[in-house]
Formats: sequence, structure tokens, C-alpha cells
Amino acid sequence: MLKLIGAAMVVAASGLSGLGIAGNYSRRPRELRTLRSALQMLETEVAYGATHLAEALVQVAGRCDRLVEPLFSRAAAELSSSSGVTAALAWENALINYYPGTALKPQDLSILRSLGSSLGISDREDQVKHLHLTMEQIKTETTGAEEEAARNVKLWSYLGFLGGLMIVLVIY
Amino acid sequence: MSATVNQTPAQLRCGDRVIQEILSALPGSIRRLVSALPLYVQEKVEEIRIRQGRPLVVGLSSKDSFLNPEGQLTGRAREAYQVTLNDMERLIHLISGSSLYALEEELRNGFITLPGGHRAGITGKAVLDGGRVRTLKYLSGCNIRISREIKGAATRILPYLIEGRCGIYHTVLVSPPRCGKTTMLRDLIRQLSNGIESLGFPGVTVGLVDERSEIAGCYKGIPQRDVGVRTDVLDGCPKAEGMMMLMRSMGPRVISADEIGRREDVDAIEEMLNAGVKVLVTAHGSSPAELADRPALGHLIRSKWIERFVILGRSRGVGTVEDIIEGKSMRSLGVK
Repeated sequence: MLKLIGAAMVVAASGLSGLGIAGNYSRRPRELRTLRSALQMLETEVAYGATHLAEALVQVAGRCDRLVEPLFSRAAAELSSSSGVTAALAWENALINYYPGTALKPQDLSILRSLGSSLGISDREDQVKHLHLTMEQIKTETTGAEEEAARNVKLWSYLGFLGGLMIVLVIY
Repeated sequence: MSATVNQTPAQLRCGDRVIQEILSALPGSIRRLVSALPLYVQEKVEEIRIRQGRPLVVGLSSKDSFLNPEGQLTGRAREAYQVTLNDMERLIHLISGSSLYALEEELRNGFITLPGGHRAGITGKAVLDGGRVRTLKYLSGCNIRISREIKGAATRILPYLIEGRCGIYHTVLVSPPRCGKTTMLRDLIRQLSNGIESLGFPGVTVGLVDERSEIAGCYKGIPQRDVGVRTDVLDGCPKAEGMMMLMRSMGPRVISADEIGRREDVDAIEEMLNAGVKVLVTAHGSSPAELADRPALGHLIRSKWIERFVILGRSRGVGTVEDIIEGKSMRSLGVK
């Protein structure tokens, strides 16, 4: 009886960690997509609304998916904290805060980072160009992430349980 | 970097109140130098000139002076703090609220209004579009002009400008640049709009066309300077068009504008005169006789509509009232 409970626990543990990894694979494309649509909103605010950056970030934070909301609301808060913070610094701080809680990869982080250095510092057309570039890069990453997810989500969710079963069989 | 950016509140508190307002617009290194100035110097600072790769200059009421890296005044340029590219970039970030793209109109005019009503004049390379300036890029020079409100600056001249119980005369303030014309106009507007108890003046609705955002110092449309409780401000609007708009929409008793001189300004003023609205404006010059020689203004002066000329100068410091002249007879009213 005790053996059976132990075996069930091994299967459950390894199955759940497999599901966790699979979850990460499926989360990344979702996060990238919401990031892209949030940047799209930012572009609209910048290009058509000519909204000040701090305000624009608040607007985006209010409307975007809650997956990326912390990034924008943090950047807005940093920027309007009146201690003489530049947009680049505010964005960087927000990213440092946001990144660890996500399924994003280092290359996604560096794409977002490079956006920070040009944020708010040039005229409208230039801002739009930079935002487009970032969105384009995110789109490429999204495609890659989706392929990866398609390959790995099923694999890991089975692999976890099957691996657990194998361990049980070996130990038995 | 963060040590210079996040100054402690104590550091920010000690010093001149007006200087405090612009400190948050300065990059850390320059902020430290300016806030290290002794209080009696801070009080006299009129402008801070920041030019990339060149010495940092502060304009004081009497002269201008360089600032050395220890935050002391110096007369020698090679001892002075040299403004770096990094300083300039941060400065642009801070004065624009990291939203340069939203300030194209301001860049076209060459200045940005800061919170507190101060203005940052900006130079760089002009980007042209069909022969007109579209925006500026490679911003490399900035002059932060500190606007100081002097309440009561106009108290002495008010008795000469008030007509009867609740009217005022059509008035032109005449002054060379940097003689306190704008400060005087702002205080006149404030007092006329609030009402003046000592003169039994009840206060009138004033319409102010603030084309260069200098008088009310609007930041996002809200006046940062006290221009009185009955004042409507049209910020950043061309004077001639703005006066007509205000007259039609807000029903003011007094219309005010700064630095008139173009043909269309004078035409708009004549329209106001015919509509029974009182006019309170300023013009560059040193005497009504000089104004009379100007192509557009001359016509207005010769038509004898203007009832009072207030001449400002610097003979006893900024904002000295040199004379007040009665417009019909062109005789001095004998102001000391």
C-alpha cells in the first residue's frame, strides 16, 4: 500500500513538473503576442494622440492584457516619480522588475531593452520606426516561440508522466 | 548615476524656491552645481545656459558668469564646467518629459514651457519641410529662463490706468527687452482680474492671449502663474486670431497680449477698440515716438486710440517705470 502511494507521488511530481515546463513553452508566445499588441497601443498613443510618454504608458497599462500590465504601469510610475528619471532608465527598471516573473527568453529581453534607449527622445516618425522595429522583432520571436511550443508542449506534458512511470517501474 | 539623480529632499529644500522648481529639469551633474550656489546668488539667477561641449553659464541679473565644477562662479571660461553630450541628452529627456515627439509644435517655436512657467529655449538643427521649419534635431543648446513672479510690481502704476469706478484705459506698455515688461503685464492682469480693494476696483474679466506662454506660463493648458481669478487664458495662440476668438467666445472686458507689432495684431486691436473692449498690450521700444515710426504700430499710435503709454526701463533696476504718458495729448503724467 505504502509503495503504491509512493509510486503515485512520483508519477504526480514528475507529471506536474512536465506540465510546468510545457506551460512555460505555451506561455511565451502568448506573452510575446500581448507585448506586441501593447506596443501597438503605445504606437497609436504616440503617433496619433501625441500623448506624453508617462500618460501614454498609463493608458496602455490600463487597456492591455494583465500579462504585460506590470511592465507598463511600473515604467509609467518610474517616469512620473519626478526624481529626474529618463525614459530609458524608467523602462530599464521596469524591465528588470518584470522579466523574472515571465516565460520570456533573454533574447526577448534584449529586444525590449533596445527599445528603451530610443523611447521618447526623437520626433514622431522616428518613434514610430523604432516601435515598428521592436514589434517586427517580437513577431519573429513569436513565430519561433509558437513552433517551439507546438513541438514541446505535448512532448513535455506526456514526458513528465511517462518519465514518472518509468522511474516507478525501475524502482519497483 | 542614481546617486546624482535621486537627490535627497533635504538637498532640494535648501535654496531659492524658484530655483527648486527648475532643478528637476536639470541633469544630475548640472543640478548639483546649481544647487551648490549660495542662496543670495540663486535668488539672482535669471537664466541657465547649457551648450553642449561648452562652458556652463548662469545669467545673473547684473552680468553672466561661468560655473566651475565645484559649483562656484568664475569669470574664466577654461575653469568652467564643460557640458557633456550625456548632460545634454538627459536634459532633453527631462525638459521634454521624455516625450519629444509630442512637442513638435514647441520645437518649431524654439522653446518648451516647463512646470512652474519657466521656459527652456532650444537650438539645434532645423528640419525643413517645404521651406518651413518642421522640427529641430541634434538639440545642442538650451537656455533655461527663470520666470519670477513679482506680485505688486504694478501697484504703483495702477492708479494711472484705472478710469472711473470699474473701467481701465487702453494701455500700451513700452519697453526694451529684459526690462520687466512681461512681469509688469502679468501683475497688472492679476490685479485687474482680482480687483483692487484699496482703489475700490471691483475686478473685471480679462482675456489673455498668451502666444509665447510667457505671461501665464501654461503647462498643459493650466496657468502656472497667478494671473487672477477672472482671467481666461488662450495659450499658444497667435495674437490676432486669439483676440478675435476670445472676444467672440468669452466676453472679456479687457483683452491683453504681449509684444504686438505685426500688421494683423494691429488690425485685431482696432477691432477690439471698435467693439468696446479695453486693450492692454505691450510693445518693444523705448518711447511712443519710436513706436510711431514703425510701419504697423505707427498707424495705431497716430489714430490716438491708445490712452496711456507706460514706459519701462532699467535706470533704477529692472522694471523701473520711467514715465506714464497720456495718449491724446502725449503729455507726461509725471510719475516719479
